[in-house]
Amino acid sequence: MSALKAALTRFRHGGNVTVVATFATMAIVFYVVPTLEGKDVELTSVYSALQTFAAYGLLALAVGLGLIAAQFDLSVLGMFALGGMVAVKTGGDAPLLGVVLAAGVGVVSGVVQGSIVARFKLNSMSVSLGGYLVLLGLAQAIGSNESVPYADVTVGIELDEPILEIFSWRSLAVLAVFAVFGLLLRYTRLGRDIRAVGGDERASRIAGVRVNAVLIGVFAVSGLLAGLAGALNSYSLASAVPDPGFSPLVFAATAALIGGVAFVGGRGSALGIALGALALSLLQAMFGILASPEWVSSAVTGALLALAAVVAAPRLGEHWAAARARWRSARSA
Amino acid sequence: MSAAELRRRPDLLLAGAAIAVVVFGALTTDGFATSSNFKAILASVGILGIVAVGMTAITLSGNLFSLSLGVTVTVASMTFLAWLDLGLVPAMLATIAFATAICALQGVLVATLGANPIIVTIAAGSLQLGGAAKFTNGATVYPDGGGFSWLADNVGGIPVSVFILAGLVVTVDLFLRFSRIGQELYLAGENRLAARAAALRVTRTTVLAFAIAGACAGVGGILLGAASKNAVLIGGGDLYTFKAIAAVLVGGVVVTGGRGSAARTVLGALFIAAISDLLLLRGYSTGIQTLVVGVFVLLAIVAMQMRRSRVA
Repeated sequence: MSALKAALTRFRHGGNVTVVATFATMAIVFYVVPTLEGKDVELTSVYSALQTFAAYGLLALAVGLGLIAAQFDLSVLGMFALGGMVAVKTGGDAPLLGVVLAAGVGVVSGVVQGSIVARFKLNSMSVSLGGYLVLLGLAQAIGSNESVPYADVTVGIELDEPILEIFSWRSLAVLAVFAVFGLLLRYTRLGRDIRAVGGDERASRIAGVRVNAVLIGVFAVSGLLAGLAGALNSYSLASAVPDPGFSPLVFAATAALIGGVAFVGGRGSALGIALGALALSLLQAMFGILASPEWVSSAVTGALLALAAVVAAPRLGEHWAAARARWRSARSA
Repeated sequence: MSAAELRRRPDLLLAGAAIAVVVFGALTTDGFATSSNFKAILASVGILGIVAVGMTAITLSGNLFSLSLGVTVTVASMTFLAWLDLGLVPAMLATIAFATAICALQGVLVATLGANPIIVTIAAGSLQLGGAAKFTNGATVYPDGGGFSWLADNVGGIPVSVFILAGLVVTVDLFLRFSRIGQELYLAGENRLAARAAALRVTRTTVLAFAIAGACAGVGGILLGAASKNAVLIGGGDLYTFKAIAAVLVGGVVVTGGRGSAARTVLGALFIAAISDLLLLRGYSTGIQTLVVGVFVLLAIVAMQMRRSRVA
C-alpha cells in the first residue's frame, strides 16, 4: 500500500498527471470534435496519427532528452535532413546499411558538438546553430540542393504497411526506440545523471557525476535519433529533401514541452515525451479528418506552445500570488 | 595599444580575420578584388544586416535569440505590399508598427512572466505562419499600389537598403550606448539578477529589445517586399532567422547578453558575406557556403570563449 502511495506521489511530483491529462484531453478532443461535426472517426485516422508520430517522434525524443540535460540541440533539424540524404545515397541496395550509416553520422556530429559544449562550457544553442548550418550545408551539397529519389520504393511501402489496422513497422520501430530509452532512463544511473546535470550542472560536477561525458552522450544520442528519423522518413517518402524547413523542430519542441519536459532542464521522461508527441499527432490527424486548412494546424500548435511557455513561466506564480493578495486585502478593507 | 588591451578586443580579431580573407581572396581569386564585387558583397548584407541588428538587441538584453524573426520579416513584406493601397508612407509606417507590436508582445510575455524566449518566439512564429496562411490563403501577395520601386534602387551602385542599414546601425548603437534605458538594457543583459536588485527597469528593457527587433524586421520586410515585388510564405523566412543569428555570433556578441554592439554584428554579417562571395566565385555550391558559415560560427564562439576565460 505504501509502495503504491510512494509511486503515486512520485508520479504526481514528476508532473506526469498534467501530461496524462493533456494526452487524455487530446484523445477525447480527437474523437469528439469530428463527431460533433458529423464526421466519422475511423481507425485509419488513428493510423495516420501514428504515422505522424513515426515521422517526428524520434526528433521529439532527441530534443526532449537534450532539454532534460538543459541543452537545446538545434542541429537535429540539420541532422534530420542529412540523415535522409545519407540513407538514400548509401542504402540503395541494403536499406539497413543506409539507416546504420545515417545514425552513425548523427553520433559523430553529436560527439563533436557535445565535446565543444562540454570542453569550452559554451551555450548549447549557439554551438548547435553552427552544427545545424554545417549539417544542412552538407545535406544540400550531397543532394545538389534538390530532392534525391530513393531507388527502392518497395522499402517505404513495406515500412508503412498497416499492421493491426493502426500500426506500421515504422511506427512500431519508433515506439520500440521510445521503450528502450524509457527503460534506460528509468532503471539505469544514466537517467539520474542526465536529470542531475540538467537540474544543476555545478552541483552534479561536485557530486561526482561525469558531467562532460553525460553532455557528450546526450548530444551523441540526439544526433543518432535525428539521423534515424531522417533515414526512416526518406525511405517512407522514397526521397530525401535538402531542407525540411522549421516545422519538424516546432513539432519536436512542442511535443517535449507538453510531454512534461522543463525547458530549464532536470525534468522529464521518455514516456512523457511519447505522450506529448502522440497528443500532438492525434491533434494533427483530427485536422486531417476535419479537412481543416493548413493554417489551423499551424495556429493551434503555436497557441499550445505559447500556453506551455506561459504555464511553465517562473514568474506566473508570483503574479498569481500578488493578484490574490491584492484581492484579499481589497475584500477585507 | 598594449597586448592586454588587444586581447580584450575580439572585434579586432574579427577585423583581422576579415582582412585575411579579403587579402587571400584578392590574391588567389579572379574577380574578387573588383569594385563591382565589393558592391555585390555590400548589397547582399543589406536586408540581412538590418534583421541582424534587430536580433542583436534581443541578444544584448540577455534573452538569447528570436527563432522567428525571419517569419516576421516575411509577414511584414506581405503587409507592406497589401497595405500599399493606403499610400506608400502609411503602408511603411503601418508595417513597421505592426512588426514592432508582434515582437513587443512576445517581449511582454518573456519579461512579465519570465517565459522562455526561445519557446515564446517559436510559438509566435507558428502563430504568424498560421495567421499569414489564413489571410493569404497560401497565395502569393502582389503589390496593391506603386511608388515603392526606389526602395530597391541603387545609389552609386549600392542598394538603398545598405544606406538604411548604415543609418540604423548608428542610431541603434548610439541609442543603446547613450540613453539611460539603453545602458540599463546592457546591464540587464550582463546580469539580470543584479540588475533587478539594483531596481533597473528589467521588464522594460526586455520589451524594448523585442520592439527594436520587431521594428528592424519591419524595415527588412518593407525592403524585401519592394525588392521582390511579391511575397510568399514558402520557406517562412527561416534562413533570415538563422543567418541573422550567425551574424550575431560571428560578430562576437556575447550569447548570454550584455556585451557586443550592432556594429559588431554588421561586421560579422559582412565577414560572412565576403566568405560566401569568395566561395561562390570559386564555384562552390550554396550548400558548401552554408557549411563554411557554420564552421565559422563554431570557430567564432570558441575563440570568444577562450579569450574571455583568459581575460577573466
